[in-house]
Amino acid sequence: MKKILIVEDDLSICSELKELLKNAGYEVEILRDFSNSKENILHANADLILLDINIPGLNGEMLLREIRKEADIPVIMVTSRTSEADEVLSMSYGADDYVTKPYNPTILLLRISAILKRTEPAEGRLRYRDLNVYPAKGVLANENAELSLTKNEMIIFKHLLERQNRIVSRDELMTELWDNNEFINDNALTVNISRLRAKLADFGYENVIETKKKQGYILQ
Amino acid sequence: MKLKKYLVDKLIEMILLIGFMIMTMSVLLALKLQTGILILYFFLCILFFVPVILSDYLKKRSFYRELLTNIERLDKKYLVLDTLNEPSFYEGQLICHAMYEINKSMCENVKKYELNVNSFKDYLEMWVHEVKIPIASLLLMCHNHSVDVKKYKEQLRRMDFYTDQVLYYVRCEHAENDYIIKEVELDRVINESAQKNREDFLAGDVALKVENVDMKVMTDKKWLEFILNQIINNSIKYKANNRESYIHIYAEDFKDKTVLHIRDNGIGIAASDLPNVFKKSFTGENGRKHAKSTGMGLYIAKMLCDRLGHKVEVLSEQSGSEADDNSESFTELRITFVKNDFYKVR
Repeated sequence: MKKILIVEDDLSICSELKELLKNAGYEVEILRDFSNSKENILHANADLILLDINIPGLNGEMLLREIRKEADIPVIMVTSRTSEADEVLSMSYGADDYVTKPYNPTILLLRISAILKRTEPAEGRLRYRDLNVYPAKGVLANENAELSLTKNEMIIFKHLLERQNRIVSRDELMTELWDNNEFINDNALTVNISRLRAKLADFGYENVIETKKKQGYILQ
Repeated sequence: MKLKKYLVDKLIEMILLIGFMIMTMSVLLALKLQTGILILYFFLCILFFVPVILSDYLKKRSFYRELLTNIERLDKKYLVLDTLNEPSFYEGQLICHAMYEINKSMCENVKKYELNVNSFKDYLEMWVHEVKIPIASLLLMCHNHSVDVKKYKEQLRRMDFYTDQVLYYVRCEHAENDYIIKEVELDRVINESAQKNREDFLAGDVALKVENVDMKVMTDKKWLEFILNQIINNSIKYKANNRESYIHIYAEDFKDKTVLHIRDNGIGIAASDLPNVFKKSFTGENGRKHAKSTGMGLYIAKMLCDRLGHKVEVLSEQSGSEADDNSESFTELRITFVKNDFYKVR
């Protein structure tokens, strides 16, 4: 399980963030002592840090610079300051991403998983059961046959696959699709999912995408 | 400075001089001097008095003429004192001194207000950052305890939208160092703006078509995103209810510029309102008849565009009568980004 360290002084945000990240399947630690932030952060041995800019003691940007001198942990800057200058400064100090408050929780999760995936050593090809998945070509294939998916179907399938056996909400799928410049509406999402289901069923994978009422979908 | 008016002004002095002339001449007349001497005396007097008045006139004329023409030519008229030569006569020196004192006290007064306004704006900016924290916190709570929270989220998004508006209003009127112009990927900015408004798109059942925006422009990313948010928000707010609504975003690339089009098929803007849509607090017919409006969104967007050096235009058409099905009405915003090789040089 990936461990995420939250460096943030607003307690209610801390606890809500913790819940959000826990629900998404991460281990969460909150930095409580800001007097010696740098040592504590390095000590926590996290896989990713959510770092607020306005924190007591050393400010976030300075802290980031200090951390970067010693470690290469992925850092996402989280702040309510919304100027390009702040973002450019943070990125130049070595932040991996920059998110402004109030952030859309789903997008925050998306960004986190994208960065964790980026920093992880590539683990070869994407596979689902005995199928090889080729996202760029939009094709699922086993030794004998190929199943081609549309762009939207592939985005949905890939997102479900990366979270296999976990519930994925419609909101998450929608965010992912819009992030890929596919600005579709609710009906189109429903249509895409039923088409994907039908295609998989035709290919011999019956009922692999299950609907969880009011929660979302789950890929078995 | 006109000679005639000056002479009218000097009427008393002139009457006194003429009186003096008449007096002395009557004394001379009483002494029974020759008429020739009297005429000579008369001309001598004239010869003496005219230069006295004229020299005074010329001295003042050069000063006042400079003063008046400089005032006329300056756009910041209060700076006129610095353009004048020090006058050689006492009256002029008094005027200059008085102007200096008046200017100084006015400058102090203006400075006081400037400091007040600036500290208020700083506070406002800080306040916006502060208030975004509880908004973020509430959004997270809504997300975590997701039992039909759509309506709460919607209200939170509105709060966020309006606080953003305040922030950029403050910035558009006094932002010297808050923005950075650099190469920005247009499709990324559009995507972020689309994501931000996604729930409004879905709730309003407005389709978004984005085409041909895979290019780079010189702008500030955050500001452009805000500008797009304002435009998109308007399009969704003033959509037409009797047909399928859409917003179509596309860009055209020219040799010296890039033009971004944001076109919707909403209710359009009345031709009489069109020239005013970028004015502060202008709400127009749509603001009265349809959704409530503050008249600030497009004003701020325009101010930001001006600062960034982008041109923003609006085109709109409302199809004739109410009975008509509005089939042709649309609103299109065009933002023109100028290309400048200067920025590309590293």
